[in-house]
Amino acid sequence: MQVWPLRFRDLDDRRTILSDDSGAYFLAKSEFVGRYARDALSPSDERFLLEKGHAFERAGDLAHTGFLARWSRRQYIGGGSAYIILIPTLRCDLKCSYCQVSRAPLASQGFDWDAETLQKVLGFLDDLPVEEIQIEFQGGEPFLRLDLLEAVAAFARRRFRRVRFVVCSNLQTLNEGILAFLDSEDVLISTSLDGPHQVHTRNRTGDTALTEVFLSNLKQVIGRIGPGRISALPTIDIEEPPNPEDLIAAYEAFGFTSLYLRPVNYQGFARKSHPEARTSAAWNDYYRGFIEALIARNARTGRVMEEFYMAHCLRRILAPGMDSHTDLRNPNIPSGANAVIDFDGQIYPSDEARMLARIRQVDLAIGNVSDGLDQEKLTLLAPGHINNFDPDCIHCPYQPFCGTDPIDDLSRSGRIDVPRHESWFCQRHLAVFDLAMELLYRTDPEVEFSLSRWLGLESIPEALRPVAP
Amino acid sequence: MIQLRLKSECDRGLAPFVTRIAEGEPQCEEDATLTLSEAGGLSYRTGLATFRLRDVAPAEIAGDVLLIDPRRQIAHRLIRAASPHNTFLITEQCDQLCLMCSQPPKPQHQDMFAHFLAAARLAPPGAQIGLSGGEPLLHKDALFAFIDAVFASRDDLSFHILTNGQYFERDDLAWLRKHRTRLLWGVPIYSDDPATHDEIVGKSGAFAQLAPNLALLGLAGAALELRTVVLAQNALCLPRLADFITRHLPFAATWAIMQMERIGYGRMNWTRCFFDSSIDFASLGAAIDLMRARRQGVTLYNFPLCTVPRAYRDLAARSISDWKQKYLPACRACSLRASCAGFFEWYREEDGFMEIRPQ
Ligand code: SF4
Ligand code: SF4
Repeated sequence: MQVWPLRFRDLDDRRTILSDDSGAYFLAKSEFVGRYARDALSPSDERFLLEKGHAFERAGDLAHTGFLARWSRRQYIGGGSAYIILIPTLRCDLKCSYCQVSRAPLASQGFDWDAETLQKVLGFLDDLPVEEIQIEFQGGEPFLRLDLLEAVAAFARRRFRRVRFVVCSNLQTLNEGILAFLDSEDVLISTSLDGPHQVHTRNRTGDTALTEVFLSNLKQVIGRIGPGRISALPTIDIEEPPNPEDLIAAYEAFGFTSLYLRPVNYQGFARKSHPEARTSAAWNDYYRGFIEALIARNARTGRVMEEFYMAHCLRRILAPGMDSHTDLRNPNIPSGANAVIDFDGQIYPSDEARMLARIRQVDLAIGNVSDGLDQEKLTLLAPGHINNFDPDCIHCPYQPFCGTDPIDDLSRSGRIDVPRHESWFCQRHLAVFDLAMELLYRTDPEVEFSLSRWLGLESIPEALRPVAP
Repeated sequence: MIQLRLKSECDRGLAPFVTRIAEGEPQCEEDATLTLSEAGGLSYRTGLATFRLRDVAPAEIAGDVLLIDPRRQIAHRLIRAASPHNTFLITEQCDQLCLMCSQPPKPQHQDMFAHFLAAARLAPPGAQIGLSGGEPLLHKDALFAFIDAVFASRDDLSFHILTNGQYFERDDLAWLRKHRTRLLWGVPIYSDDPATHDEIVGKSGAFAQLAPNLALLGLAGAALELRTVVLAQNALCLPRLADFITRHLPFAATWAIMQMERIGYGRMNWTRCFFDSSIDFASLGAAIDLMRARRQGVTLYNFPLCTVPRAYRDLAARSISDWKQKYLPACRACSLRASCAGFFEWYREEDGFMEIRPQ
């Protein structure tokens, strides 16, 4: 019998979580790890490993073939569909506290696509080797240039077999044209709701009256297109985070059933004045507290609110192919089918890469709409976007579920080869996956209530909690 | 019930032949056109023969492919153009003796491949044809040659082959790969416990043979549909089987969990085997939850909709072939009827599901 390599990590002082390269995991006492490390597995250990697909007798037997299939499905190879972020304008009518570099003042000039850039963007989309696309409009405030959105939408609806648009809007200003654009079923809205009134005002509008306008616009849009096509996310200032109960209540008030906590991501200069953003302990503590509060609240109210990232990470632990979220995939090789096109026609592999160029830290453009993609740059960036061979990740049981973010590493440390465990990305994901595993193995009806709803199950099957003998 | 055989008249001296009821102008010499329609029957002429059919209207059989058996004066409807459920019975021989077999094996074999080939060539565009038995792979060489011959002239067709999976060999890999996109293999697995599986299929060593052969299908990238009939003998172990499938058979496109058909051995062993899922869906539910969590396809075949808890109803397919399907008197008032599989013609209420509740 041969055992596929196992990686392990202590969940607490009694229990260790182990997993193989295919993402099959189990819990064991530390004695098991000792026997595994000393190559002294007992017959019942071996039976367990064989039965659960962590081992095989012969290449080509059923256990071996099943493992190969599971392993291959864990790798994201892309193809088929594209996810493009477009920045038709950098101008914005708000001045959020955490957004210094990704906006330009409302009246400024030279921060919008001109007619030629628009044509070249359409040409770029036309050349993508896919029939399915999701186009996300970001800004600035994209609705300031509804005309550009309409032009892109009209073109994409003709060109692609399946298309979906997401407009990331502050919903601060609505008019008839915008509302008519929203009426199409293929248009989704993503907006920011930072929590209760005061928090939203402090972080985003700086003005109670403006917050009132936003809240009434949000209500109007939900009333018009229903809650299914609109999502909101709170950006959390970890120095002054909202009380979890208040935050959840603010979301419930609008009928949302999902929210996605995101920490403020300070850039460049602002990062220096917010040192807290460099250390993840505070965020991880807040996140854990939030999830626990959410679970307790769901059990108490019988309603089900989900925190998107926790639910998504759970889904990634349990099944292969959960690659819809572009920030958490592996490998996640930059390509033209997964790119950001800036207001000036520059193409970046991610939004964060665009920021780094804006603050002139490093130019990570992978081309522009005039000259096309820069293959050399793409080749250079590729290796950093695979975690399978990272010297730290290869020892981590969460590698099959996790991803990479070399751009964030670069932005925070000026290099991409920081030891994983010192990076914000790793620290944050270790914490999320630790918590996810802990919740999965917690046989507490309150936890099971939320987890089964988040996963779309009637109950949590015992088989999702394998434990070694 | 839809007739699969029609009364026919033709020259008894003719050898059996395959013909298609032409829709419009005949396309080939096998195409039959209506020459006379009278109360006593319909007269048809092909490029090679004439024959009559009784008790059927021309519209019902338009485009159908028939095998005319002059000696017995019968027309077998090999392919009904209007139906998605067309199956060629390759053989009635089988090496297993499953407890709930609906088509108990017979010792003799009648080779029909020449007729099946002629029929497949006349099938409607894009048709999927079922191949079943008995065990079709008992005649593997002839079967594979038949499939090659069909695809050589009709690359729009596909086959859904039901096999017990006992007869694959490593040497079949290249052939399986070659046709992987057009063959769907339906293979039964009743338990992850070899002894239980062997007991249900009535053959010792069956599981030990099945496991490596399923691996071969996986290596070939074949389209695989696992099939499990729920029985008193395996119902409570379904969650274990689901765990086995997701770990060792992740390449299976879908897992069909099926209710029993009360005919053949299924009738003989009904009381011993029938598992009333209308009063106990717990183990099925747990198995389905596991498949859902691990994102592997699962389908429920032959389950009346009202016996399935609401949360799983979207998985229940209208699976019972049209020619052997029925509903109960109670179903008349039910709003789900249009999407419900209903019952097999031979189902009996007195020893069937306890809970049939029109919705
Ligand atoms: S980044 Fe960290 S959490 Fe993710 S796989 Fe690597 S070591 Fe594990
Ligand atoms: S009452 Fe009849 S038609 Fe309605 S769900 Fe039950 S079996 Fe189906």
